[in-house]
Amino acid sequence: MTVGARLSSSLPTFRPSVIPSLLIPMDDAQTDHLKAYGLTYRAIQAGLKAEWLLNYRGGSFLIPDLDALRRDAALNGIRTEPVDSAMTAVRGEIEANNMDAVPLEKAPKVAVYAPPNAAPWDDAVTMSLQYAGISFTKIWDAEVTNGSLKDFDWLHLHHEDFTGQYSKFFLIYSGMSWLAEMVQRNTDVARRLGFATVPDLKKAVARGIRGYVENGGFLFAMCTATETIDLALAAEKVDIAATFADGTPIDPDADAKLDWAKSFAFTGAHIETNPLVASFSDIDGHQVNGGARRQPLGAFKLFNFSAKIDPVPTMLVQNHRQVIPDFYGLTTSFTRTHLKPGVTILADEEGAPWVKYIHGDLGKGTWTFFGGHDPEDPQHQIGDPPTDLSLHPHSPGYRLILNNVLFPAAKKKELKT
Amino acid sequence: MNRSRSWAIVTSLVLVLSADPGRTARGQAIGPGFELERSGRYADAASVYLTTVRGDPTNLPALLGLERTLFVLNRMPELLPLVQNARGRLPESAALRSLELRVYAALNQLDSLETIARRWAATAPQSEQPYREWGQALADHRMWDEARRAFLIGRRTLGGDGTLAIELAQLEQRTGNWEAAAAEWGRAVTRSPDIGPTAESQLADAPAAVHDRVARVLTAPGVSARARRLGAELLLTWAQPTAAWAAMESTLGDSETPDALRRFADLAGVLTTAEGHRARGVALARWADLVPWQQASRARAEAVRELLEAGDKVAARRVLEGLTTDSTAPAEAHAVAEAALLQVLIADGQLDVAEERLTAARTSITADDRAALRLALSQARVARGELDRAETVLGEDSSVAAVAQRGWIVLYRGNLRAALEDFRLAGPYATDRAAATERTAMMAMLQRIPQESSPELGAALLTLARGDSVAAINALRRAGGKLPEQGGRLEVLLLAGQVAAGKGGDQAQTATALFDEVVRAGGEGAAPAAAELEWARLLVRRGQNAEAIPHLEHLILTYPSSAFVPEARRVLERAKGAIPKS
Repeated sequence: MTVGARLSSSLPTFRPSVIPSLLIPMDDAQTDHLKAYGLTYRAIQAGLKAEWLLNYRGGSFLIPDLDALRRDAALNGIRTEPVDSAMTAVRGEIEANNMDAVPLEKAPKVAVYAPPNAAPWDDAVTMSLQYAGISFTKIWDAEVTNGSLKDFDWLHLHHEDFTGQYSKFFLIYSGMSWLAEMVQRNTDVARRLGFATVPDLKKAVARGIRGYVENGGFLFAMCTATETIDLALAAEKVDIAATFADGTPIDPDADAKLDWAKSFAFTGAHIETNPLVASFSDIDGHQVNGGARRQPLGAFKLFNFSAKIDPVPTMLVQNHRQVIPDFYGLTTSFTRTHLKPGVTILADEEGAPWVKYIHGDLGKGTWTFFGGHDPEDPQHQIGDPPTDLSLHPHSPGYRLILNNVLFPAAKKKELKT
Repeated sequence: MNRSRSWAIVTSLVLVLSADPGRTARGQAIGPGFELERSGRYADAASVYLTTVRGDPTNLPALLGLERTLFVLNRMPELLPLVQNARGRLPESAALRSLELRVYAALNQLDSLETIARRWAATAPQSEQPYREWGQALADHRMWDEARRAFLIGRRTLGGDGTLAIELAQLEQRTGNWEAAAAEWGRAVTRSPDIGPTAESQLADAPAAVHDRVARVLTAPGVSARARRLGAELLLTWAQPTAAWAAMESTLGDSETPDALRRFADLAGVLTTAEGHRARGVALARWADLVPWQQASRARAEAVRELLEAGDKVAARRVLEGLTTDSTAPAEAHAVAEAALLQVLIADGQLDVAEERLTAARTSITADDRAALRLALSQARVARGELDRAETVLGEDSSVAAVAQRGWIVLYRGNLRAALEDFRLAGPYATDRAAATERTAMMAMLQRIPQESSPELGAALLTLARGDSVAAINALRRAGGKLPEQGGRLEVLLLAGQVAAGKGGDQAQTATALFDEVVRAGGEGAAPAAAELEWARLLVRRGQNAEAIPHLEHLILTYPSSAFVPEARRVLERAKGAIPKS
């Protein structure tokens, strides 16, 4: 917020109708791909108009050529190129190819759903927002249940277990102080908010998030949050939490009783009932903690969409790389057979029974799910130090996360899907 | 079923399948079951396994498959009659007995479980296995108290303090009772020393809050020597080398002492503190007393180096004196000892004695050691300001290390051009990396100065080399003031500022003033950007991030092509909290 505020205060009081532009190339010429998103975000946050040149030089941005923005770019090591007369040729190229120019008008207000303490694992989205210099607000269960989500345009979920089973680490990591603290905090919040158990609380939070999307919110989820929010929604009236979480065993007929009409992306999944296996269902294709079921990592490939017809998925896959090394998470990928009809696949591993990156609409809003925990730490373990993004300024995996942050900024009337 | 248990089952299954061709065929028959299980279709997998067991009631892979799949499907009662039938047909099969116990545990039929376990134990009165499987089956279902009882019944029945100690140790660890786990691991290593490394790695994970209590359990009076050694190794792992050596020293004397000392010394090798070096040095010296002279002489030399690193010259000299006066030791050992003793003398400041012995010992000390000692002696003379003697001791040595050292000597005399030439000749690889970097930085500074000589600057740098930082800061300021602004002044003032910033405290203000002067002057050289970065770093170290940020931004925007910009951006990120402190 402070960066944007500083930028606003340094801008002229009026804007000329035609001002020269700065192109932020997003191909291999870019010196810091991740910070480039922050520069664009701060420009629109300051009330300026920007454009996203889909499929042009890796999904470049166009911002006004102002001293404040040049200064911002120089400080952050972001490559920009002044384009005055050349812009006509650029627009011609965009018109003639599978490219499009999408106006970016309003900087989305970003909320990150995360517990108030620091978990013993990192959060890729929080790190990328911090690194890019995009302001956000941390919220948790109380803010969701009291309706505060309506104040935000974009909501991010990461390593959260909406089944209320503490990522099923309860038995595996028993005795660890961070787990004890997590259990205590969740139990306290559930009690304070009037829920009998933590699974009940998390189901209510999941419903709150679903309502937020139905009313026009943009949801982006990674890792466990993708799979568990759908399980929590489908299990509104079914006990899918192990005894350690709510004092009662899992309903033996849980699979049959799940109501998948209520979920975002998945259908027909089978619940993992073993409390000692840190896996929730067969939605995840990789089953990192599933013993013999664990699958090796490969690489996933981004789909190509028609920029002029399908600008939304096109925006979400803008990148300077088409094939990206895969990375594990408690939920790494999504089994194809459990995807609902109508889900848009944004990236998959060719020939594999799973996909990596999906998107869909719900009510007036949209959701995007991205499997895996940390794109630059493929084997992230509990207790590992957080990834230092200044060492990965060109990370294609992190770019996908930041595409999601900017996509709600796109002028809505231009969107065709 | 926990993961280790699943893997054990899978591993045993692989072994079973590969051991017997008949069974391989049976394994192939249930192959589709594995595939179905792997893809999460447990009910279908269970059907395949059930079909197999109906045709072949003692088919262990199929029964184990049923154990895995029926547990997930919450249908364990179906498995019990099948396992009972199989066990009735093959009563000697330990695998089936174990499976039966696990099924009873899964069904929470604890009385039947105990009856079956005791019945098995009666048929194998000397075996720990029935009790191990009984306790393990309960532990797998987190029935800690019941599992502990089963293991202790086994210990009481079979006798022996270390019986089932590993199982009890792991159980206590899983429940977070680290002191009890330590006691059990102590019993386990007392019974079998091979367990030592496993015990050490398991207990090393204990939370820091219980380290002292765990160590006390293992080093208490009356505890076996093996358990105390385990305690000593853990203390080393937890970076408490002095306490570790105290624990280790109390165990010396038995036949396992040499191996224990060697392992202790190796483990201490990862510690870089003075305490760590001392513990390693003492252990090596004691080990050297117990091994043949070929190993002993090397160990003593190593011990001396460690003790010197620890700053314990008295102990180092004691080790050496024992060797240099030992007439039975071979010439090679004498040479190693003599070289090490000279190192001690130089470190102790007895330069005249060291120089005399170095000349006399010409025949015994190796050429490499002699060159290294000459260099050390020359550096020690420089540190006293005795430049002539520092040069003399190098003699005719034409090695790159000696050329570099001569460069410093002529620099301190104020001959800047000659110093630059010597540093060039020495090249970037003489001596260690830090020294090479220091020479390169000095060359960069000297290249900016047009004068051939500056006795004042030489004297200031000698003051710095002698360790009088405060006097050196003032001397560098004076010497720099006499140089042209774009002819070395800024570089010398930057050096003075760096020294002042490194000194901290009252000198931080001096550093700030010096950096300010260099930044204000600006110009072509690298000094202004370097000074601004140093200034910002100083502010960040003092927690003044908000003040540091404008300096870093000024640096990046004013000197966009400076080599310091990437580092400035990184410091800026940290100052803004945009990248984690890791």
